[in-house]
Amino acid sequence: MGFLFAALCIIALPLIFNDTYWRTNLTICAINVLLALGLDFILGYTGQLNLGHSAFYGLGAYVSTLLIVKLGIPFWAAFAAGVAFAGLAGMFLSLFAVRLRGHYLAIASLGFAVIIYQVLLNWISLTQGPLGIYGISPPPAIVVGGTVIVDFRNLTAFFYLVSGFTMLVYLLLDQLVRSPVGETLTAIREDEVSAASLGINGAAWKVFAFGLGAAVAGAAGCFYASFVGTLVPDAFYVSEAFTILAMVIVGGMGTLIGPVFGAILLTLLPEILRGIGDLRLVVYGAALTFVVLFMPGGLVQAARMVQEKLRPAGRGP
Amino acid sequence: MTQAAVAEPPVATGTAPLLRAENLHKSFGGVHAVFDISLDVSNGSIFAIIGPNGAGKSTLLNLISGIYQPDSGSISLDGQDLSGMRAHRRVRLGLARTFQKIRLFKQLSVLDNVIAGFHVHHNIPAWQYVIHGTAFTRDRQQCREEALRLLEFFGMGARLNVFAGELSYGEQRMLELARSLATNPRLLLVDEPAAGLNAAEVDVLLDRIRTLRSRGITVVVVEHNMDLVMNVADRIMVMDYGRHLFQGTPLEVQKNPAVIAAYLGGELS
Repeated sequence: MGFLFAALCIIALPLIFNDTYWRTNLTICAINVLLALGLDFILGYTGQLNLGHSAFYGLGAYVSTLLIVKLGIPFWAAFAAGVAFAGLAGMFLSLFAVRLRGHYLAIASLGFAVIIYQVLLNWISLTQGPLGIYGISPPPAIVVGGTVIVDFRNLTAFFYLVSGFTMLVYLLLDQLVRSPVGETLTAIREDEVSAASLGINGAAWKVFAFGLGAAVAGAAGCFYASFVGTLVPDAFYVSEAFTILAMVIVGGMGTLIGPVFGAILLTLLPEILRGIGDLRLVVYGAALTFVVLFMPGGLVQAARMVQEKLRPAGRGP
Repeated sequence: MTQAAVAEPPVATGTAPLLRAENLHKSFGGVHAVFDISLDVSNGSIFAIIGPNGAGKSTLLNLISGIYQPDSGSISLDGQDLSGMRAHRRVRLGLARTFQKIRLFKQLSVLDNVIAGFHVHHNIPAWQYVIHGTAFTRDRQQCREEALRLLEFFGMGARLNVFAGELSYGEQRMLELARSLATNPRLLLVDEPAAGLNAAEVDVLLDRIRTLRSRGITVVVVEHNMDLVMNVADRIMVMDYGRHLFQGTPLEVQKNPAVIAAYLGGELS
């Protein structure tokens, strides 16, 4: 039911917001939801404090774009390669950081994000550094028998593509966390020694979860590059990782629906508050502080509290 | 209470030991936590390890369960060498444990804590983790039923959906036992299960441990509570300063002057 409702919302949204500005924002929203979902799987479910999610986002974007631009590889093949590369990078980082937890993993992943950003910035012969890559084409149009069915230069079509993919990822993760994998990952998050006493190989599962979450970020990167059409390293600066982190925490870690709303809120809020400029960073900061102090379960916890408040009131005389 | 120990049927001797440890050594920065410990635990018995605080009992349990690796010496389970094998691998051979300082998944429900314990026993094709099919549903149903049965056995049937972190201390102990049994062990290591329990809860615990033995599960218990140890143990090993002091039946332990001097003191003499 919820799924159907979400699908209807996705279909209706670009029809309601029919100007370019809001349709662009909707697509960015869908990309951010994808990023938040990936990070939530790593952080919220498996308890790995990943502060370098921007790195996997950037790797997905640059790997797919460079394959298309330099080697002329078809979009969807490059997409798959970008996703795989980001996923492998995530597994690689998790594998080396497997003995690190809490603050140490946070520092290692943050360092990784800084390194990736510096590489994108300074490997000019490959990435053109701060000059950026321009004129990246959108995914090829779907053509049946010579007629163009869907053209992704159309903003609405692109939004449907990204949000459809995001829903697919949501469904996949939802099924995973409802399976024994869900209990296994949360067991590791709660107490890894205890999990080992039940036969759970914490290291292997952490690598798996990190890889999957990073691959999802890679997919977001591929979409981002082909949507914006321009690629500069600054889009994947470390602050982006904290923005995604804020989305996950404000939404509610360890649930899938929370980060979805966290991402939507923190993407649209700065647009609504556009007039205040850099003050949006203050909004992020204030929102984060508020959530951490008063509502560590995020929007999900707030919704539950409201629900519980309403229930007895509804039944009362 | 201690008289009951005499009435216990003596454990069948001559059967091959389920757990065998030989000349185990483990030191931490010059402190010999475990020094030259050997033990044989026969199949289907209850084996207790006692000793004063800091005697190395918990370290020994951590060596057996694989949380630590010994500096030297060997451990085998049913003839299979466990050397170098990590803790999570040992669970697949039928070794389970609980912790002295309770380690539950606090933000998971009571039921989910136990279900997490079925990790090594799932029988689901890989693709059904993503697209839930009949094998998936059957496995989930089986896990749930089995978890309910285990929780009922430990008197937790009414607390299924409570977060583990919200349980009373006694309930947490019981939940940890239920969770460890979800791995379907042959050998269960319990580290001070009676710590923090009241007398009534200790009685329940005693009864449950005996029931486990009657179901063929071998139990190694580290314990301070003498009532519990003298009542349920078939054999007792006494440790002091990481060394083996004495090994025998509860009656022999109570009569042994060295043990009395080192540990029991006037408590039971």
